Amino acid sequence: MIAEAKKLQFRSTSKGKITDKIAKIIFMSATILSASFIFVIAGIVLVRGVIPFTTDNLGVGRVSLFSFLTGDIWLIGETFASNLYSIGFIIISTLFITLLSLAISFPVGVLTALFIAKIAPKPLAKVLRTVIETLASIPSIVFGLFGAGVILKLVYDFSALIGYQSKGGNSILSVVIVLALMTIPTITTISEVAIRSVDKSIEQGSLALGASKTQTNFKVILSSAKSGIFTAAILGIGRSLGEATAVSLVAGGRRAGISFDLLDTTSTLTTIMLEGLKETTGIDYDIRFSVGLVLMVVILLTNLLLNSIKRRVGVVNVKE
Amino acid sequence: MKKILSILTMLLLGVSLIACGEKTTTVSTSSFDETKTINVYTRDTTSGTRTGFMEGIGFAEAATSDSVLVEGFLIKDNTGILSTIGIDEYGIGYVSLSSVNNTIKGLSFNGVAPTEANVINDTYGLKRPFMWMLRADGDYPSQDVEDIVNAFVAFLGTTDGGDIINNQGAIALPSTTTWDSIKANHDVCIQDNSDITVRFGGSDSIQKVAQALTAAFMPKCGNFVAEHDHTGSSDAYKRTNDPAIKDTSVGKDVGFASRNFRGAELEVPAIQRGQLAWDAIVAIVNLNNPLTGVTAEDLKKMYDGTYTTWADIQG
Amino acid sequence: MSKNKKRKASDFVLNSITYLSSTVSLITLLGILIFIFGQGFKLLNVDLLVENFESQGYVADLYDNVRLCNCEPTIEFDENTYYSPKWGVALSDTTDLLGRTVVKVEFVDKDSPLYKVRDKGIGNDPIELRDEYHIIRIAFDEYPTALSRYGSENMINYLEANDSLREIEFQTEGGGIRGSIITTLYLIVLTLAFALPIGIAAAIYLNEYAPANKVTKLMRSLIETLTGVPSIIYGLMGLAVFVPLTVKLTSATGGNLLSGAMTLAVILLPIIIRTTEESLKVIPDDYRQASLALGASKTQTTFQIVLPSAVPGIMTATLLAIGRIIGESAALVFAIGTAIKDEVSLTGKSTSLAVHIWAMMTDEPANIELSATIAIIIMFIVVILNILIKIISGRYMKRKMGVSS
Repeated sequence: MIAEAKKLQFRSTSKGKITDKIAKIIFMSATILSASFIFVIAGIVLVRGVIPFTTDNLGVGRVSLFSFLTGDIWLIGETFASNLYSIGFIIISTLFITLLSLAISFPVGVLTALFIAKIAPKPLAKVLRTVIETLASIPSIVFGLFGAGVILKLVYDFSALIGYQSKGGNSILSVVIVLALMTIPTITTISEVAIRSVDKSIEQGSLALGASKTQTNFKVILSSAKSGIFTAAILGIGRSLGEATAVSLVAGGRRAGISFDLLDTTSTLTTIMLEGLKETTGIDYDIRFSVGLVLMVVILLTNLLLNSIKRRVGVVNVKE
Repeated sequence: MKKILSILTMLLLGVSLIACGEKTTTVSTSSFDETKTINVYTRDTTSGTRTGFMEGIGFAEAATSDSVLVEGFLIKDNTGILSTIGIDEYGIGYVSLSSVNNTIKGLSFNGVAPTEANVINDTYGLKRPFMWMLRADGDYPSQDVEDIVNAFVAFLGTTDGGDIINNQGAIALPSTTTWDSIKANHDVCIQDNSDITVRFGGSDSIQKVAQALTAAFMPKCGNFVAEHDHTGSSDAYKRTNDPAIKDTSVGKDVGFASRNFRGAELEVPAIQRGQLAWDAIVAIVNLNNPLTGVTAEDLKKMYDGTYTTWADIQG
Repeated sequence: MSKNKKRKASDFVLNSITYLSSTVSLITLLGILIFIFGQGFKLLNVDLLVENFESQGYVADLYDNVRLCNCEPTIEFDENTYYSPKWGVALSDTTDLLGRTVVKVEFVDKDSPLYKVRDKGIGNDPIELRDEYHIIRIAFDEYPTALSRYGSENMINYLEANDSLREIEFQTEGGGIRGSIITTLYLIVLTLAFALPIGIAAAIYLNEYAPANKVTKLMRSLIETLTGVPSIIYGLMGLAVFVPLTVKLTSATGGNLLSGAMTLAVILLPIIIRTTEESLKVIPDDYRQASLALGASKTQTTFQIVLPSAVPGIMTATLLAIGRIIGESAALVFAIGTAIKDEVSLTGKSTSLAVHIWAMMTDEPANIELSATIAIIIMFIVVILNILIKIISGRYMKRKMGVSS
């Protein structure tokens, strides 16, 4: 942040002042445009998402916001004829799942990035980079297919092995594995950019001081690339929280009760949204937007939290 | 050093892959344990298959309500149910007859095996109707579209239409008229309609049948263009008759539903809706499950939680 | 000495961890490859790539005064082909591009009454029953209809049992994905044309111009929040904003390629902005200062010094973006629609490969094999594009280095 502020103090020559101004305005409007889309999206979600709480939903009755956020049964009673929706248990399992999947994908992703950028022999690095880029472009429905065809089977066999009757492998564990596999490419790609961008002089300095190549990689380079690596984590979390298609194929569609049992079924905010979007009107449709609203709030809060952490750990700026 | 490491990695990789391969290919040979819990799989409440199934087993309230189902049930889509029942030895689910394949076992219902022959001779009882719904008279993009749609509906009731329905594994309603004998009533079909698009939508379960029907009807009716966008049974009504949606970009000229119309859908005049076929629903279990048949009663008790283990059914 | 050994040991362990981590991605990709190749390889052929999706259907009957053939076949058939001497046609059971079993015309004798049939549709010219067509049904008077579902042997038996027929329906193969491949390429170009300029401009502003204050911070976190929005919601935004917008401005009547590309562009913005910004951040300030000191304006510095140095980062962003465009389905289902088309136009409906998969998967029963086949094609396109972009950026870097030296 401080470094950025410093950059701004460059004084431009009078010659290009007008072009500079125009350029700045163009750049700024691009930024404002990019930032404003979230309001468009929030607006759309908000308009629909508050309907269940503010209207009587064509005679069904108002949904209570408090029990919506805290309850542990998705819906009591008949679809389109009951207002007893709640997603408290789903919010918690969503966060739990995201955390677990990050616990796998973050270290694996960052270490892969380090490997590609600094450790691997050049041809191997090239191959791996193509591997990662290909993985990143696999449609999530294909990840879902893979999850439903392979990972469910593995989890089912694994639980049978430890004497547990799992529900066809549909479980938190399967979701976590699928999400981790899906987020690794994102984390790796962005971390790699960050690691590559670490100033050569820092690396050389460390080596000159007698540190081994490996020590330099792990201690100096990783910590210098902290900011980028954190960005990678944020994007990874975003992808985990927002992924719907693949997750819904392995989650099992849990409808009640919170469970931290890794081999039990689960639901996430996105799977519950996806399941009802075939409808186009009515409370059972509008409530999915309320879920979307909650999801966006969750994402916003997570981002704020992560950014404040990022600022705190990122105080030591490498460029200074 | 580096070279050794990369060789090691490759070795490790090879071994782990082989291990993976073996795991997925070995079929678990363990015998079926009847004391295990029944894992109940169902479609979500928007599914026409679910409505047909629940009504067929005498558990109609479960068509639209999750909370009357046994605790710990699982919600999956059609493909999900098929693939998970293939894995889960103790699961029970249901799919449309045309989806049944050799990775799972279809159960006979009330003593009748789920075969096409049994559905056609009307002895197999677990089935649901395929319905169509039209826009109101005069509410079409053009008169030609309206005429083609009316001709299409007439075609559905002919033996020629019935052949196409049967050819897709659904069961057509009995008919004796041929398209040849009624086509004189539909002048629109002798003109060139290749620049006219008719929009079809509604249930995704009917998509295949609907596509085959329009493909067969196109040459019979001036090569009009059929555009299919199937999203779900509820959209049969919404996209053709719901004032809030029918005139938006997702509006349709013909909607299909894979269940009986209900609620507000029934306010649409009877002349704008009708049935085109029957479709059988089959209760399915894992191949390792010794069970070969169930009754409606059994299925209801499994889905409402009266039976919790597989031993309960045998008794 | 022992300290050195310890260090070596720990270095070895640390290095090994990175090797292990990297194998995770490798195993995943190989696992997925094995899975989709196992499922989809048998449907993979050139016809699938170049054929139309829509099949052309025909309905026809016999001309008056034609005589039955009663002729022996002039060529030899394999055992899966059945021949009717009476009608002089041979049919076989094969699988089409979608993996379904169909009845295919193998041979029609020149003397067969089916060699030239009368079009019952609007055409007047006789139709030749060629050996590329699939027969759907043959209807007779007073006799059950022969359906393709019951196979070619059954159909031949029915033909042999009758001396005339009421009508015959047949069609071209269909099921190809050419239209979806073209749509996907259109989408990539269009989306990048929307997203790259805006994204790069925003990244430049945030890194080079923006004051380090609360407003900038807010903008940054607003953009970041976009990354977490689920695809479905983007799709709904596309449906609510971009579809009406394009319908108003162009000849489009519903979801179209432009509205799809705009929706995808919004999805990509945060990725492009973030990745570009990361690469701008690491350009040493000396470069900028040197440029400014030489009398270049800020704009010149940005375009001639800062931006070129960020090219590798922008390339990474582009690759990530292409990956996302190719892989995105949930948003496009709403923003374009799921209608699979052969004729692609900017304002028309047509669909990308990922949505094509989605459409195949939501069929009942789902066509998992074809989905896997399309997935193979998607991966192939991705690898090709990756290599292309690398060659281009490699050339660019070389030229730049050549100039500076």
